[in-house]
Amino acid sequence: MEITKKDVEVAAKLAKMRVSEQETAVYEAQLEALFNWVKELSSVNTDGVELSNVNLSAHVRADEPVTDEKRAALLRADFNASLDDCAKVKKVL
Amino acid sequence: MMTVEQIVHAFKSGEKSAEEITRGCLAVIAEKNPEINAFVEVFEADALSRAKELDEKRARGEELGALAGVPVAIKDNILYKGHKATCCSKMLENYVASYTSTVVEKLLAAGAVIIGRTNMDEFAMGSTNQTSVYGPVKNPVNTECVPGGSSGGSAAAVAAGMVPVSLGTDTGGSVRQPAGFCGVVGIKPGYGRISRYGVIAFASSADQVGVIAGNVKDAATVLEVLAGRDAHDSTSLESPVPAYASLLAKDLKGVKIGLPKGFLDGLGDDIKQRVTEAARALEKQGAQLVDVDVPHAKYAAPCYYIITSAEASSNLGRYDGIRYGYADKSATDLNAYYEESRAPFGLEVKKRIIIGTFALTSKNYEECFLKAMKVRELIREDFKKAFEQVDVLLTPTSPTTAFKLGHHDEDPLALYLADLYTCQGNIGGLAGISVPFGKDKNGLPVGVQFYGPILQEEKILNAAYHLEQNV
Repeated sequence: MEITKKDVEVAAKLAKMRVSEQETAVYEAQLEALFNWVKELSSVNTDGVELSNVNLSAHVRADEPVTDEKRAALLRADFNASLDDCAKVKKVL
Repeated sequence: MMTVEQIVHAFKSGEKSAEEITRGCLAVIAEKNPEINAFVEVFEADALSRAKELDEKRARGEELGALAGVPVAIKDNILYKGHKATCCSKMLENYVASYTSTVVEKLLAAGAVIIGRTNMDEFAMGSTNQTSVYGPVKNPVNTECVPGGSSGGSAAAVAAGMVPVSLGTDTGGSVRQPAGFCGVVGIKPGYGRISRYGVIAFASSADQVGVIAGNVKDAATVLEVLAGRDAHDSTSLESPVPAYASLLAKDLKGVKIGLPKGFLDGLGDDIKQRVTEAARALEKQGAQLVDVDVPHAKYAAPCYYIITSAEASSNLGRYDGIRYGYADKSATDLNAYYEESRAPFGLEVKKRIIIGTFALTSKNYEECFLKAMKVRELIREDFKKAFEQVDVLLTPTSPTTAFKLGHHDEDPLALYLADLYTCQGNIGGLAGISVPFGKDKNGLPVGVQFYGPILQEEKILNAAYHLEQNV
């Protein structure tokens, strides 16, 4: 599988990551080697193979409303500051 | 270093105080860590205060747990409230856990003393422990060599006698491979056996917490404390936890040990010879050797790198400068804010995110991700059939022993290929254990591995225990 500089740049952009010219060149070569190796999988016959489904009902807890009245206080305790019964979060922009 | 069993006995009998035991470990860490770099932080004051609490508890005649007084190190991706958990990444360099993971809660409830956090490959992505922001760990057996990874610090800490036991995580062999390289025991239970609540995610369909210890019995004792269903982790399984340590006495008569066809092809003489000797030693103890076929297992490594990278690209999306991680305040728009805030990821982490994102694009999804998922089903089916014929499988842990630091820097694909034997366990969800069995011609430890079906960890522990008695 041929991997181009553009492939690396597009994937990096989708992942919201800044990648330098130098990194792009390294990744281009390494990804090409990796995906050529992964191509081995194409020789495996997977016709009719279905992905197994997880039986969620066996693992997920019952959907019960939260009744813990202390939850708000517990949440606020994890923040450094609160104002008018609200947790104060850090400024983003 | 005393074993877990000896420490618990010494503490409970009054022969030693928890403070003495803890100070003993702290002294070894102070002496050896500057060279080995296994610990990135030692919780000295906290550990001593905890040890004193345990001594007081003993003095009051209160009940003491299965790990009373035992110092335990935890990998730097396991949360312990009020302590840093950085995944050895600049991205999380100031992150302090706001809650405690279930595994640490269980250790504390059993009377353990959490002594510090150990070095690891950044975000658990690597098998040499060279991608840590805190610098590489050195193998205590030969400090020119890597300790393996990603739980390299946890394995080196046990091998160097700094602690009797440590926790690691294993997504593709990150407990078993470093255990093999450092000459200690490493067990990754089957998927769902131990809660992952409070463990920083890398690839959720493969991540498991594991135990690294100086011997099989200690590993069994700690696994018994950690195993079991946890309502906080929907992937943890509801099933009674056997008394693993006390089941080790059961002999091997009639136990069927599978030798997967072709698994020794292309290996160096040292590894091949040790695995063959291990099989013979088990046979002498009454086990029956059976050739088994797991034809798709050879595809586990490429499947692993596609699936886990795809999951990582999603899991690591949370490090956006808003929800978690480094935040760059200089950006002037949202896209720039994300890009600048995600800049601290190291080269390997960025690469895995790019691989995963690429494999999940609409153009490549079917050929890469879906194909890998389907081959994974075939691998699982192979193992399921194999365990209808045998109790456990015997394989090498790694195709080589520990190599020199920097050896594979120019050829990362060679490192990925070296995960072949261990990542099969994560792709298949199996229970796996690496136990040291002899050395190579350079005096480096050789690890051999047993695989068993999910929720049957007692089988691999038993086989490993009997092999250990032969060393």
